[in-house]
Amino acid sequence: MTDAAASTLDGVSEPEGKTLLSWESRSRRLVTVYLPLICFLIVLLFPFYWMAITAFKPDAELLDYKNNNPFFIQHATFENIRKLLFDTEYPRWLLTTMGVAIGSTFLSLFASVLAAYAIQRLRFRGSTYVGLAIYLAYLVPPSILFIPLATMVFQLGLFDTPAALILTYPTFLIPFCTWLLIGYFKSIPYELEECALIDGATRLQILRRITLPLAVPGLISAGIFAFTLSWNEFIYALAFIQSSEKKTVPVAILTELVTGDVYQWGALMAGSLLGSLPVAIFYSFFVEYYVSSLTGAVKE
Amino acid sequence: MPVFTRRGVFAIGTGSLAAAALGQPVYSAVPVATVEPPKHPIEKDAVLRVSRPTKFIAPDETIWNENTEKFTKATGVKVRVDYVGWEDLRPQTAVTANTGAGPDIVCGWADDPQLYATKLLDMTELAEYLGKKYGGWKFQAKLFGRKWKSDDWIAIPIGGGIGPCNYRTSWVREAGYNSIPTDLDHFLDLCRKLKKNGHPPGFALGNAVGDANGYANWLLWTHGAYIVEEDGKVALNRRETIEALKYAKAMQETMVPGTLSWLDPSNNKAFLSGDIGLTQNGVSIYFVAKNDPKTQAIAEDMDHAPMPTGLAKSPPEAPLILNGMVFRHTKYPNAAKEYLRFMLEADQYEPWLNACLGYWGHQLKAYDEAAVWSGDPKVRIFRHSGDREFWTGYKGPISAASGAAAANYVTVHMFASVASGQSSPEDAAQEGERQAKRYYKT
Repeated sequence: MTDAAASTLDGVSEPEGKTLLSWESRSRRLVTVYLPLICFLIVLLFPFYWMAITAFKPDAELLDYKNNNPFFIQHATFENIRKLLFDTEYPRWLLTTMGVAIGSTFLSLFASVLAAYAIQRLRFRGSTYVGLAIYLAYLVPPSILFIPLATMVFQLGLFDTPAALILTYPTFLIPFCTWLLIGYFKSIPYELEECALIDGATRLQILRRITLPLAVPGLISAGIFAFTLSWNEFIYALAFIQSSEKKTVPVAILTELVTGDVYQWGALMAGSLLGSLPVAIFYSFFVEYYVSSLTGAVKE
Repeated sequence: MPVFTRRGVFAIGTGSLAAAALGQPVYSAVPVATVEPPKHPIEKDAVLRVSRPTKFIAPDETIWNENTEKFTKATGVKVRVDYVGWEDLRPQTAVTANTGAGPDIVCGWADDPQLYATKLLDMTELAEYLGKKYGGWKFQAKLFGRKWKSDDWIAIPIGGGIGPCNYRTSWVREAGYNSIPTDLDHFLDLCRKLKKNGHPPGFALGNAVGDANGYANWLLWTHGAYIVEEDGKVALNRRETIEALKYAKAMQETMVPGTLSWLDPSNNKAFLSGDIGLTQNGVSIYFVAKNDPKTQAIAEDMDHAPMPTGLAKSPPEAPLILNGMVFRHTKYPNAAKEYLRFMLEADQYEPWLNACLGYWGHQLKAYDEAAVWSGDPKVRIFRHSGDREFWTGYKGPISAASGAAAANYVTVHMFASVASGQSSPEDAAQEGERQAKRYYKT
């Protein structure tokens, strides 16, 4: 019996005309695919939904859930956005955060590419242990590192400057990116490099002309991770920056919008919403590369 | 013997507060003695950097900045003030102390001067001058400003805040009480009646730095219990603690659901939305209610009172003290001391205190006569923040251990475990003692 015949017998077929396997049925798919997917989406998207509606709710609605449905906006207001943009230095914080995130991402990617290539391809004595040591560095929590790092930052004369963050974020970005890139470089066929070597290319030429163009999805993936981690980082930004105008978004919105035990939720959520937009836009541009780096890499 | 003068008793009340908030000169009733200030010749080309907690309310920052500008005008010293989030001030102070970099002056939290005593300049001369001029320092100021068990001042206490009982007067009256009872049995009875009438109380027992520690401390101290003895020996597993835990269990049954996960803002929200009729908090609920037309009725109906004293001799509350510390790494120690002196002098301090509307209470006795305390009667209770005779880690020394035990919610978790029904009072006291010993190692 053919698949088509089986599906006709079971009386199930996809609306688009696609046939289902014999063991599949619409209710089975609903339970095994769509229901978990819906649950997953709700869990994933609900915080963003909550953030978005809180940003546009007036305070009275936020306080009174008895007379206002907490899941919907009754009377939308732009007051929270206005307050955030015009009563605080939010645009400046956003620019600082952007500069720090971009700077530390590029710095980390540069160092990680060289480290990952050396560990994966040059295979010098002890390269495995070096890889492991880099990974172990990632496991040291920032709450332990921030005071020794502060001493170094101070001695370099970088205290209270964005450069302090650009130089310290790579302490956790480089190990992460290096490991991600080691995995990606491993998936690029070594034969391609051997051919180049036979043709007389140097290691740096191979890296620049062969490996890196093939590793673009991996680089983008590492870049996105590095950018997001830098964007959201809190403890170093809190410890190394003390001037209000040089703060990054995650630290600054808390300083300005939490006064004692009074949380200005509307403006806080507006700040979080606007702060997450650049990351979301960044992701949307590169999502295909990102997915391909995590799923397939280069086919031999 | 200092000679006290009165500079006038006029225009006290709402008008004077408004004027103070706008930076207008206000006649003051604060008694000031004639005392020669210490000689701190300001260094040439001095510049200062100051860190302090972010504002409670806008005038807190506005008047502070205006006073700073006045200092710059008077002395030529440029001062930059950075406002830091409340939770963020501690790690920033730790970085400043450990690296020797950052602000010259940190207006930091209660026990910080004790933790960083070796990194701070001696402030004894300045503290003695201010004490003589303004009628002496209050209990809390002496406790936190001086190095533990010594007469050496290592910080200048600037302000303090307490968390008394916040309640809806009409609902308390409806429950058969004209005011908040001072004894525990009647207080529990009031809470039960409030619940019966649909206006339950709510006290935080989640990881709420201020509110949950405040409630747990009150439960302990009001029953004669405490976390450590005077020498720092852990003393939680005692009969008094078990009594406090039993009382907490009974209190929990009267409360609105969810208080076990409450954080600091939770009781504010519940009170302002009318979900609860009684809680423990600073002045923030009242201030927010008063300034929003939609919640003004709540402000009119609410009031503050000390939490019941129970077995304690005075209201069992530990104020949050703000201390001005000058770090040894400063290049301009005299300018820094002069800045603190200038900010504490009546011409600057009283307008600031008045504008803070009870969010900050003073630590120098003369400021008992500040206009803010004779204005709105509902904030008068906050005048006494410096007089409270309890502190975090009572009866023991103020130390890293007392701070760590509070930061890790040792007593809060102990009460929460009984209130939630997870532990018996006896087991919880035993576990609480075990947890406390992790921090108090001597």
